[in-house]
Amino acid sequence: MEDLIVAFLRSGTPIVYVALAGVIAQRAGVWNLGLEGLMIVGACATIVTIRLTGSLPLALAVAVLLCCALSALLWFVVEILKANQIIAGLGITGLGLGGTALALTAIFGSEAAVNAPFGLPRIGPAFGAFGGLSVLVALMPVLVFGTWLVLCRTRFGLRLSACGEHPFAARAIGVSPTLMRLWALLLGAPFCALAGAELAAGSLQMFSVNMTSGRGFMGFAAVIFGAGHPVGAALAAFFFAFAGALGIRAQLLYGDRVPSALLLALPYLATVAGLWLSARLGRRSTASGPNELGRL
Amino acid sequence: MTTQLAVVFRTFAFILAALLLCALIFAAVGLSATETLQGVIEGALFRPRALDHVLRWALPLLITSVGVVICFRAGFFNIGAQGQFYMGAIAAAFAAEALRGTSPLVAVPLCLAAGMAGGALWALWPALLRVRAGADEVITTMMGNFIAALALVHVTSGPLKDPSGSGQATSSRPIDAAHRISETTGTSPVILATAVLVVLLGWWLTRRTAFGILSGLAGRNPSMVAWQGARVESIAISAFLFSGGLAGLAGSIELLGPNGRLASGFLPTHGFTAILIGLVSSLSVLATVVVALFFGALASAALYLPIVAGLPAAAIEIINASIALFITARADAVRGVLSRWRSRWKT
Repeated sequence: MEDLIVAFLRSGTPIVYVALAGVIAQRAGVWNLGLEGLMIVGACATIVTIRLTGSLPLALAVAVLLCCALSALLWFVVEILKANQIIAGLGITGLGLGGTALALTAIFGSEAAVNAPFGLPRIGPAFGAFGGLSVLVALMPVLVFGTWLVLCRTRFGLRLSACGEHPFAARAIGVSPTLMRLWALLLGAPFCALAGAELAAGSLQMFSVNMTSGRGFMGFAAVIFGAGHPVGAALAAFFFAFAGALGIRAQLLYGDRVPSALLLALPYLATVAGLWLSARLGRRSTASGPNELGRL
Repeated sequence: MTTQLAVVFRTFAFILAALLLCALIFAAVGLSATETLQGVIEGALFRPRALDHVLRWALPLLITSVGVVICFRAGFFNIGAQGQFYMGAIAAAFAAEALRGTSPLVAVPLCLAAGMAGGALWALWPALLRVRAGADEVITTMMGNFIAALALVHVTSGPLKDPSGSGQATSSRPIDAAHRISETTGTSPVILATAVLVVLLGWWLTRRTAFGILSGLAGRNPSMVAWQGARVESIAISAFLFSGGLAGLAGSIELLGPNGRLASGFLPTHGFTAILIGLVSSLSVLATVVVALFFGALASAALYLPIVAGLPAAAIEIINASIALFITARADAVRGVLSRWRSRWKT
C-alpha cells in the first residue's frame, strides 16, 4: 500500500506542477499547449547542467531561464503576431522535443539517455517509506495553495483572471491583457521547469529523449477537467496519475493475462474520460475556456 | 488574385522567420547553421534519385494532409492524424495477414479499404465526444495518438508478432511480397495514382459539393450554418471521418509500400507534419500538393543528414516546429505592430 502511494505521488507531482502553469495561462486567456515542450526542456536542462557543472541550483536556474525564454517566445508569437494559440503551442512543444534531442546529440554525441550523478534532495529517511520522495513533492501542496492564494485572493490574480474572462473590462480599468498574458506565461514557466526537474531528477536522475511522453498534455487536460481552478487542476492531475500508477501496479500483478501496452494506456484513457466527464457535467462554459481563448 | 499572392508572400515571410529561429537554435547548440541548411538542401535536391526520395515521403504526407484540411476547414482541430495513421496501418496489417496468398487484385484494395476504415473509426470517437458531449477535440485526439502508439506496440508484440524476429525491436511478419505496392525505396505508379485521386476528390469535395461549402462556412461561423438549417452535427462527424479515413489510407500505403511490415513506433512525426502541411497551404487542397513536396523534401533530407553531413536528424524536427510556431501568425498583426512602433518613434 505504502509503495503504491509513493508511486502515485511520484508520478502525480510533475503533472500537478505543469497543470498549475496551465491554470495560470488559461486564466489569463492563453491555451498553453506548449506545456509539454516547456516541461521537457526543464527536464533536459536540469540533468544536463547537473552533469556538466555538478551544481543543482545552477541547473534549476538554467531550466527556469530556458522555460521563461520559450514562454516569452510563445507570448510574442501568440499575442504580438496573433498566431493561433493551439498551433503555436504545438510548435513550442515540437521545439522542446526536437531541441532537447538536438542538444543531447550536440553535447554527448548521441541521443542515448543521460545520467546525472545526483538529483533533487530527498525529504529524508525520517519519513520512512516516503523518504525517497524529492522535496518538490513535499513543496507541492504549498505551491498549489500559493497559486490559489495569488490567483483568487489578490488584486493581481483577479486582474489576471479578468484578462481571460473579459479583456475589455480589464482594459477599461487600465490593465493591458497583452502584458498580463506575458506575466502569466512567465509565472507559469518556473512551474514547467520544476515539473521537468521533478520528472527527471526527482527519482530517476536521468534524461531520455521524449521522456515526458504526453504528461504536459495531461497537465493541460487537468486544467480543463479542474475547471481552471488550481486545486481542481491538481486533483485532476492526481486522478490521471492514479490511473497511471494503477496501470503499472496492474502490470506487475496481471501482466501475464492483460497486455501490458494496454495497461500503459490507462492514464491517457483516464484523461479522455476526465474530459468527457467535465464536458458532461455541464461545465461547458469553463470547459471550453474563458471567452477570449482564440481559435483558428 | 492579389489576396492569394499576399497569402503566399505572407507564408514565405513567416517561413523565413522560422528558418531564422532555427539558425539561432542550431548556433546555440554549436552546429553551424549554414552547414545544416546546406546539408538540408543538398539532401533534399542534389543527391542521386532525389525526386524519388522526395516523392516517397511527400505522397503519404499529401494524402494525410488532404484529410487534415477537410477537418480543419470544418473548424475542428483534429490533431490525431498520427493515431489515425497508426490505426489505419494496424487494420491494414490484419487484413493483409488474413488475405495472405490471395491475388493482389483482391488483396490490395481490401487492405487499403481496411486502412481507411481503421483510421476513420479512430477519428469517430473524438468526433462523437465533441459533438455529443462537447469534449475538446484537441486533447481527445492527442490522447488518441498516445493510445494508438501503445496499441501499435501491443499488436506488434502480440497478435501480429514476427516469430522469427529478435526480442528487442517488435515488428510484424513481412506482408506477402505479391501484395507490396512499391519497393522499399518507396514510389510506384499505384501510390502516385492514389495520391492524385485523393487530391482531385478532396478538391471536388471541398469546392464543388454542399458538404464542402457548408463545412467551410461552419468552420468560420457554426451558429450561422446551424440557423440556416444545415445539420452541423453530421457535417462535423463526416469531416472527422474523411480526415481519419485518409490518414488511415496513408498508413496502409506505408504498410503495403515502403515499409512492408508493421513496426512499433514507425514514422512518429507523420501526423504532425501532415497538420503543418495543411496549415501552410492555408487549408486549400490544391496548395497541399506543392507544400507536401516541400515537407517531403525536408523529410527526405532528414534521413540524409546523419549519413552524409553527420548532423542529427532532430534538426528537421526543429525546422518543422519553428514553421508551426510562425505559420498562423497574421500579416496584418505585424503591420499593426510596425505602425505602432513607427508612431512611437515620431512622437
